[in-house]
Amino acid sequence: MARLILRRSALALFVVFAISIICFLLSHVAVDPAAGVAGDSATDEDLAAIRMQYGFDQPLIVQYGDYLAGVLRGDLGNSYLSGEPVSQLIAERIPATALLACLSIGFALALAVPLGVLAALRPNSLLDRLALTLAVVGQAVPNFWAGLLLILLFGVNLGWLPISGSATLAHFVLPAITLGSFAMPALMRLIRAGMIEVLEADYIRTARAMGLSNRKILFRYALRNAILPVISLTAVQFGFMLGGSIIVESVFAIQGVGYLAWQSMSRSDMPVIQAIVLFISMIYILLTLFADLLNAVLDPRIREHG
Amino acid sequence: MNRSTKTNHKGNEMNLIDKRNQLITAAAALVLSAGSALAGPADNSLTIGIGEEPPGFDGYISTARDGVMMTRHLFDMLVYRNPETFEYEPLLATSWTRIDDLTWEFKLREGVTFHDGSAFDAEDVVWTLTTYADPETGARSQASVNWIDKVEAVDPMTVRIVSKTPFPAAMEFIAGSLPIYPSDYAQEVGLQGFAQAPVGTGPYKYVSGDSGQFTLEAHDGYYEGGGKGTPAIEKLNVRIIPDTATRIAEVIGGNVDWIWNVPQDQVAQLGGLPNVTAELGSTMRIAMVGMDAAKRANPDSPMADLKVRQAINHAIDRDAIVANLVGGDGEVINVPCYPMQFGCDTSAAVTYDYDPEKAKALLAEAGYADGFKVKMSSYRDRSRAEAVQSYLAAVGIEADLEMVQARASFSAWREGDVDIWYGDWGSFSIADASASLGNFFNGSTNDGARDQAVMDLVAKAGSSVDEDDRKAAYSEAIKAITEKAYWVPMHTIVMGYAYTTGLEFTPNVDELPRFFLAKWAD
Repeated sequence: MARLILRRSALALFVVFAISIICFLLSHVAVDPAAGVAGDSATDEDLAAIRMQYGFDQPLIVQYGDYLAGVLRGDLGNSYLSGEPVSQLIAERIPATALLACLSIGFALALAVPLGVLAALRPNSLLDRLALTLAVVGQAVPNFWAGLLLILLFGVNLGWLPISGSATLAHFVLPAITLGSFAMPALMRLIRAGMIEVLEADYIRTARAMGLSNRKILFRYALRNAILPVISLTAVQFGFMLGGSIIVESVFAIQGVGYLAWQSMSRSDMPVIQAIVLFISMIYILLTLFADLLNAVLDPRIREHG
Repeated sequence: MNRSTKTNHKGNEMNLIDKRNQLITAAAALVLSAGSALAGPADNSLTIGIGEEPPGFDGYISTARDGVMMTRHLFDMLVYRNPETFEYEPLLATSWTRIDDLTWEFKLREGVTFHDGSAFDAEDVVWTLTTYADPETGARSQASVNWIDKVEAVDPMTVRIVSKTPFPAAMEFIAGSLPIYPSDYAQEVGLQGFAQAPVGTGPYKYVSGDSGQFTLEAHDGYYEGGGKGTPAIEKLNVRIIPDTATRIAEVIGGNVDWIWNVPQDQVAQLGGLPNVTAELGSTMRIAMVGMDAAKRANPDSPMADLKVRQAINHAIDRDAIVANLVGGDGEVINVPCYPMQFGCDTSAAVTYDYDPEKAKALLAEAGYADGFKVKMSSYRDRSRAEAVQSYLAAVGIEADLEMVQARASFSAWREGDVDIWYGDWGSFSIADASASLGNFFNGSTNDGARDQAVMDLVAKAGSSVDEDDRKAAYSEAIKAITEKAYWVPMHTIVMGYAYTTGLEFTPNVDELPRFFLAKWAD
């Protein structure tokens, strides 16, 4: 077990490092950072001043070295635009994003588990088909489109829910549904497939033969086994929520990490972009690591051979 | 990823976003009556929705439009330029005189207090301008401050601003880009602290804010007799809503009272709603098709040929583009500057009418009877850019159009990556041709012509203080630029506004909303 943790952690560290290089290169090669910082009516003089001020005139390798040295000291740098420390900017916005991600995953699970179980009980029934259609729609409709439809219906036409902002819990309902419906289909299909497989297993037949009640078979024996892979998928989906939050938070004007990422990208605020990419990928890697380890704990086969 | 797939990908994305914006107004039009209770008039407040969070409230750093709008409310400049007449009116200074070619002297207003109660005097002017004139301070727009040599107090209520060389546009910058800060407070909290908790003499003071929204309140002790008048609306709530469709939805829902940058095609639909007033306001922003006559993109560029550039001028039906795609009070321009700017002599320009046959003949004369391919970049409006693309195609020029964000498109033009650039320029709201001609025909990276004779004329007009000399030089430059067809001067841009019906708001051509002049109808 200790070897497994060590190996996976080393791999995770390597991935973080690789991501930091890729992100740094992409953000410096794709656009001229000075033009982004200066805005669209800057003169040559303004651009030159900004290049000097932020060291964009240095070779890339030197810039990356400075950046990496800072990160290792725990200093993520300051925003080019507001001058505030990046770590503070991100820390201020984590609660909103975390709340949104939890609510979204909660919504996805609340829909996926019962739908998946019901669909598995009667494969190819009307209910099953409905559930699968919902899954296809949920996955196919882009976030920003779905968000807008929800805004139109519940925000503008019915006026039940606030349209944008993050002042109250009610502000999170529409974004959580938007983001959650994107995560729901994969979870639901996994539960459905797992349940169908488990329900055909020998031990379930045995349980039936022993005359156990349907409910007991379903929840105590079948679901418990079918849910195993769902746990790791949930962890991965949680990581997706952070990435997806970039769009959803912008649509709903939620002051979270995702919106900060979008805003920084549109203004080439490199230190913030790099820190957010690093932050999100680290969370993602941690969640994957956590899922691996959890699976190992729950499933002795992985523990021994992994 | 190669270039053409990139173009397509971005194109689809942009189309999708356009369609989303249309959907929201179309669907909202189905709502019979939004009839929501409006907070705005009831407590005399105004909720504004803007797209980008300003990077603090330091007007020398926060130079994007939304930021400049806030600067004008929190701070005052020495003088105020009347948005209707473009005349200078007293603000923090009550009178001013030019002492010599380099020096302006300002008499300051007595009894003005900052939002924190401290008194305003010459020391504040000297400190603020001296600090930001230093390039080390890092003012974003160096052009606003780098002409200043020194600022000195003659007595506690008189200051002199001295420029390094004769600088005719000085008053434009003094009235437009140089807010005055309280020197004691700003030094005490530091410039970074100041940007987060600003204190000014403006008609509104900063009250509170966290990420996503902030509040300004009318400054009780605001002096009378300044050009900005006395604000009628007591409270400005500013909300940051990055998504255009969401901003529009908030206005329809009645939670936000005022937005701008409404896409042109949405304005008519929004205006059809009972609770929303939508309009297109003219601006002093001019659009142009720039051509790479200096052959930066390509050493064999056909753009270097005068006949080709003339052909392109004849190929584009600007009247049709303005009538069908610009809308509002957008106008065709024939000059490479905004006609209301000082020195922008429309009579000096050589004009080109829409004549595709003539364009084809000119191309044939230039040896391009079979046409050629060019790279083109644009950003603001896909339909307009595609119209230009198809007018070019009609005379045999195949333009590979790349629609990107403004900053990326500017970079493509400046770095010489494209042959044709359909861009626009707001001249920093400055009513002097030095802000238009002086930025596009001065040999800088914006200058696709690099014509030495034109560059000399522009430099001469930008550094003389004799008005007649300046006018003559600009006229000559305009004649040369249009004769050599370096640009296709296209049209003025219109700005889309949408606001709660009942708000008395007047858009200004300088694209600087003035809420201190707005009020709720009784």
